[in-house]
Amino acid sequence: MIAFTVNGERRELDEASPSMPLLWVLRDQLKLTGTKFGCGMGLCGACTVHLNGVAVRSCQLPLAAVAGHSITTIEGLSPDESHPLQLAWVAEDVPQCGYCQSGQIMSAAALLNTGAPVNDDSIRNAMSGNICRCGTYGRINKAIKRAANAPKEA
Amino acid sequence: MSLVENAGFELSRRVFLKQTVAVASGLAIALYLPAGVAATGSKTTGGEFEPNAWVRVLPDGTVKLVVHKHDSGTGTQTALAACVAEELDVNPMTVQVITPEDPFFETYIHPVWKVFSTGGSTSVSLEYDRLRMAGATARALLISAAAQQWKVSPDSCSTEAGRVVHASSQRSLGYGELAGAAAQLPVPANVTLKDPAQFKYIGKLRHKRDAAAKVCGRFKYSIDVQLPGMLVAVIQRAPVVGAKVVAVDSAAALQVPGVRKVIAIPGRPDVLGGNLEGVAVLAETFWAAQQGRKLLEIRWSDSPLAGFDSAELPKAQIAAISDPATQTVKAMAQGDVVGQWPGAAKLLEADYTMPYKVQNPLEPICITAQVKDKAITYWGGVQVPSSALEAAQTVCGIGKDKVTIHELVSGGSFGAREAKYWLFEVAYLAQQTGVPVKLLNSREDEMHALFNHPATLHRVKGALDAQGKLTALQLHAVSPASPEQWEPGYFERPDHMDYSTTEAITAWDFAYRPPHLELNWVKHESHVPGGWYRSVSFIPNVFAVESFMDELAHAAGEDPLAFRLANMQERPRHVAVLKQAAERAGWGQKLPPDTALGIATNQGYTSFIAVVARVAKVDGKARVEKLTCVVDCGLAVSPGGVEEQIYGGLMWGLGHALFDRLDIQQGRVVQSNFHDYRVTRMSDMPPVDILVLDGQPDKPGGVGELGSPSVVPAIANALFSLTGVRQRSTPLSLG
Repeated sequence: MIAFTVNGERRELDEASPSMPLLWVLRDQLKLTGTKFGCGMGLCGACTVHLNGVAVRSCQLPLAAVAGHSITTIEGLSPDESHPLQLAWVAEDVPQCGYCQSGQIMSAAALLNTGAPVNDDSIRNAMSGNICRCGTYGRINKAIKRAANAPKEA
Repeated sequence: MSLVENAGFELSRRVFLKQTVAVASGLAIALYLPAGVAATGSKTTGGEFEPNAWVRVLPDGTVKLVVHKHDSGTGTQTALAACVAEELDVNPMTVQVITPEDPFFETYIHPVWKVFSTGGSTSVSLEYDRLRMAGATARALLISAAAQQWKVSPDSCSTEAGRVVHASSQRSLGYGELAGAAAQLPVPANVTLKDPAQFKYIGKLRHKRDAAAKVCGRFKYSIDVQLPGMLVAVIQRAPVVGAKVVAVDSAAALQVPGVRKVIAIPGRPDVLGGNLEGVAVLAETFWAAQQGRKLLEIRWSDSPLAGFDSAELPKAQIAAISDPATQTVKAMAQGDVVGQWPGAAKLLEADYTMPYKVQNPLEPICITAQVKDKAITYWGGVQVPSSALEAAQTVCGIGKDKVTIHELVSGGSFGAREAKYWLFEVAYLAQQTGVPVKLLNSREDEMHALFNHPATLHRVKGALDAQGKLTALQLHAVSPASPEQWEPGYFERPDHMDYSTTEAITAWDFAYRPPHLELNWVKHESHVPGGWYRSVSFIPNVFAVESFMDELAHAAGEDPLAFRLANMQERPRHVAVLKQAAERAGWGQKLPPDTALGIATNQGYTSFIAVVARVAKVDGKARVEKLTCVVDCGLAVSPGGVEEQIYGGLMWGLGHALFDRLDIQQGRVVQSNFHDYRVTRMSDMPPVDILVLDGQPDKPGGVGELGSPSVVPAIANALFSLTGVRQRSTPLSLG
């Protein structure tokens, strides 16, 4: 049995393979499908979740590695979908197809969690591991600044 | 796909009435609407008001608008709903939007291509008129129903947010209350469209539907489809085109917990665009299926393409130009080009090449299907329902009446979802198993799937006279035919033209008019299956033409902007975007040291764009510092959506310029994932400045594929100005 916390709730998995990536545990066993599959190699960021508040690629994290730890997914970012980033994402109308956006928001939330200054450089550093094929980078930048009440640049 | 602007279209007389409708401006426009209340595409019976294929009003007041085009992040659901909603007087952001109850209802057929499909940046531009008509017709009927009930003149009634209002008597009725009565009225032959000055939504939308659901993981994509008894399939496809399965040892794969079946899928070389041979592993989960797949032992037969090497392709492409057996089609010709070579003061010739490129939507191809009781049901993002139907007919022998599609928004397409191989594969697996089968590609599968953007070579030759004036221009665009050839009879037309391979080099899209001009498409098939790809042949054609115009300008000692303008005639919209983009980017002004600008332009989808790239040398390496572009797309139905499409296009163009490249060695794709096939990341994106002009108020042009083509030559031209080195192959080097 492997036990860990997902979105504040303790989960115990009896039959899961310890080597199964967290992404597929979340999607197929816990039915938390907001976390997306994009590349399976930690290169696109669509599967980003938080491990103890830090952004990680869940497609690269075997279940065994999260035993005893706390995981937050897009579904658990806020109880009522009102995290400042979620509100900012809607206000800036960020999503196009939307497929990458769970991962984008989780990466942005991890950036805000660090308390580091939010500016073009820190946003670029935090977000360049998340691929968007539609082309929402400009609005993601604006939305993060909006959520952080940071001054507009660029 | 190309939109052939001068193509007339004839729709089935059985279903359609041609209606000539007087619009408010006094213009008479021809529109096609269903012949009666019965012809709505809806499968419901009774109670609902369904005046046409796009409007449904329920007695409880629910208004549903049908959007019959696929949305892959392009905002079609918002923009198309807005066209109906504007005229019907409901809010397109809050009204319910549904996909067609019957995706094969004839009204939904693409008016030019005659298939059920979304693509070619045509959804808004070609549907605009008839969607407005659909909304206006429904509104007129609801007003008539209210007027009859109140015994007043329809002219004394107005509408407001889903209600008919009689202002002088302060009465109003909701659309739902009028649904039953309106459904009994005959569809009027004439209705009045709104004066565009009165628009509340068209031309004003800054937001799209569904943003809230997409920021909290609630929004459901194809990959999220979950059905009882469903198996997830992954497919190991032939590593070389044409290879066949000789033997499969599936014993080890079947030992993996969760793996249930291994099924060989026959290739369909008999179908244009049909799937390659493959071996599918079906399991309870994707992870289990992938584990099983690693343990498959497959022996593949040899294939004629086993010797194919994409690095060698340009040699064969050059040879094809002068090979008399090659099919060469003149896309445009005037005067005597060859006759100008001997007397020219300067002759220039250059070859431009572009590699294979992969669409890579972030949601990999995913589709679920089940065959049950001699019927097939699909769940997922189906961009081309006609291909889903073709798969059902060809693979399963199932006809149109027995095909159901539960259509979903997809996580990007860019042409990938216009391929049909995956529909054929899932139909086969569904037929073989009888249970719901969810086919999901891995990223490696996306990279290896082919049906992507073909590698091309363009040879361009030009003559300048002693004054530096362009006298003759000749182009040989060497490229395979586009997937438009999948349509029956496509090449049986007398002109043998492939409009999707000759984009930007036909009379309506080509901007320049030197006295002697010859633009050729040289049909050269590498037998690597090609596919649709955002902006299709505009990409290589505009790269070659706009780079070469720059080379000619420099050879003539002319400013590249002035040289372009001098070779354009009677193209006011084109001239306007060029001039404005140049001005915004500071063209002709003094630049900081080690900085240069490059300009390029193209027309397409009845829209115009000019792009200026600014590059600079930093620490010995060049860097793209800014992209400036000006767009004239006529009426921007959803201005926010237009800007998004242009930004996305610029981003794709940057990718083509700097990253996109798929190599094939010994018939096998070399790259496998985003580590060795780069796509544009946030850190790659320079600041962009996008200006969308207020265009003609009554006619929207296409924008989805407008943005990328000019970016590559704009950057290449800027790099030449910066470094003095002309680059003619992508990806370009930044030094």
